[in-house]
Amino acid sequence: MRLYLLLFLLLLVAGVLAVLVGSGDLSNPELRDTFLKLRGYRLAAAFLAGAALAVGGVVVQGLFRNPLASPSVLGTTAGASFGGQVALFSYGIAGLGGGLVVPEMIVPFGCFVGALGALAILLLFVRVTQDLLALLLTGFVLSALFLSLSGLLTSIAQETWELGRAIVSFSLGSVSGTGPRQLSFALPLVASALVACWFWGRPLDLLLSGEEEAMSMGANVDAVRWWSAVWVSVLVASAVSLGGNVGFVGLVVPHMLRPFAGTKHQRLIPAAALAGGIFLVSCDVLARLIPSRSEIPLGVVTGLIGAPLFLLLLIKLRREHAYA
Amino acid sequence: MRDGNVQMALRARGVTVSLGGRKVLWDVDVEANPGEVLALLGPNGAGKSTLLKALAGLLPYEGTVEIGGVEVAPLPPRKRAKRASYVPQRSLLRSALSVGEVVALGRYVHGAGFGGMSKADRDAIDHALATAHADVLRDRIFTRLSVGEQQRVLLARALASDAPVLLMDEPTAALDVGERLSVLRLIRTLAARKHTIVVVLHDLADARSTTDRALLLKDGRVVEKGDTQDVVAPEPIRAAYGVRLIENARIGFEPDTETVQAE
Repeated sequence: MRLYLLLFLLLLVAGVLAVLVGSGDLSNPELRDTFLKLRGYRLAAAFLAGAALAVGGVVVQGLFRNPLASPSVLGTTAGASFGGQVALFSYGIAGLGGGLVVPEMIVPFGCFVGALGALAILLLFVRVTQDLLALLLTGFVLSALFLSLSGLLTSIAQETWELGRAIVSFSLGSVSGTGPRQLSFALPLVASALVACWFWGRPLDLLLSGEEEAMSMGANVDAVRWWSAVWVSVLVASAVSLGGNVGFVGLVVPHMLRPFAGTKHQRLIPAAALAGGIFLVSCDVLARLIPSRSEIPLGVVTGLIGAPLFLLLLIKLRREHAYA
Repeated sequence: MRDGNVQMALRARGVTVSLGGRKVLWDVDVEANPGEVLALLGPNGAGKSTLLKALAGLLPYEGTVEIGGVEVAPLPPRKRAKRASYVPQRSLLRSALSVGEVVALGRYVHGAGFGGMSKADRDAIDHALATAHADVLRDRIFTRLSVGEQQRVLLARALASDAPVLLMDEPTAALDVGERLSVLRLIRTLAARKHTIVVVLHDLADARSTTDRALLLKDGRVVEKGDTQDVVAPEPIRAAYGVRLIENARIGFEPDTETVQAE
């Protein structure tokens, strides 16, 4: 209970800062409402994406019994990223997709199509092999594949200056352009995936003892594996559609929480959702605070904070011999 | 077993297991009844643990396994685990769960998947911890316990499921003599409470002291089955292990009555 009190307090502080901090001048009465509205959207987008990534991290770390797993190990993050880039690219070059959806929804839809494509390949291989290691390796290969494809697209896009810029900025991650349409698209998806992950919490607890023991205690291991992959994919696709490529949230936040919230998933998941949201909102505030001509990309900030934080946690974990 | 729980017998017919395309178990029949301890014996690689895992539904097998008169192969994992609980030799758990949380995992078979614990859950956990003499360990972190303590907690986890059949894989491996006697005594207590127990044992003297009936395997086939006294006898033992059995030749141990009362 005390943990939640602390988390809500932190959320309040981060939220207030997120509304107050930025380059726009709030004392200008004509622009104040617009600034506040934009920052509100941005705050909501950062919170949702952070919550989604942190819970995605909790689930894959439990599923693979590996504290070094991040939601991107499934390959669906790279798939979503690539999908978003393809959408940007085809719209930028040929105006494709403009007839189907309003322009600001083209990238989110692209992200979802990309993530679902990656997920379909992943599940196909899992169905054939029925094995956790195969899931991990397939995810790894898919990541590499989609990253290469993204690289190819980025290099082609450099021929047009504006398109190149847009694609690079998307892959570095940012929540600055998020509007109400993207938010109302992502909110129900993230919310239902969070609830679904919470419901899978008990079988995920059983899986901490390995597949065989989990099965002997009555877990339907195939179903856990399958549905975890599906819900994590929904979470990362939503996060990428809101904020582009933002790393380290899913890796670091679960680790920071376990000493306080414990290892049981149904306790860890709600706390991770809150903490992940707070973490990304704070990183976004920081991105606006660092003096720079253009804003520092969000993915760069999370990496710069996340990497050293993770190394510290690693030392602590090694000392305590307590993993995952 | 707690009051009001049903008793169930285990009957397996023609259990055959292939691993990686190679047959490792041929046409084995197993029969175990409530209140009875059945030992699975045999040299390393004979197929004891494989047979136990097949009975627990952890491996694909041919043949039939019936528990309480119901064929368990088509049952969903939860319903099967409600009938028979498997106790591994060691747990692969590496996370920092407390003993209370580990034993609570055994209640998964009864839960609806929601967060809270019912009173029935809490009672079962208390009872399981008390039966396995693990109640003092409740708040300790599982991974930091000794092997013997971990074994008692794994037993408590299995008991918490209220499954009438217990399948135990070498519960005394790597235990010191005191821990070993305490686990063996616990097995007898559970049999007295009308559990049906199938246990893989390495030590033939333990099998003689603790089990009622035995199934002796070699190279995946049954060498001998029947009362343990008749199975752990010169002829079958020579056939399975290639050693001569000498009666009363080794030192033995028994629980110290004062220590037992103190427990």
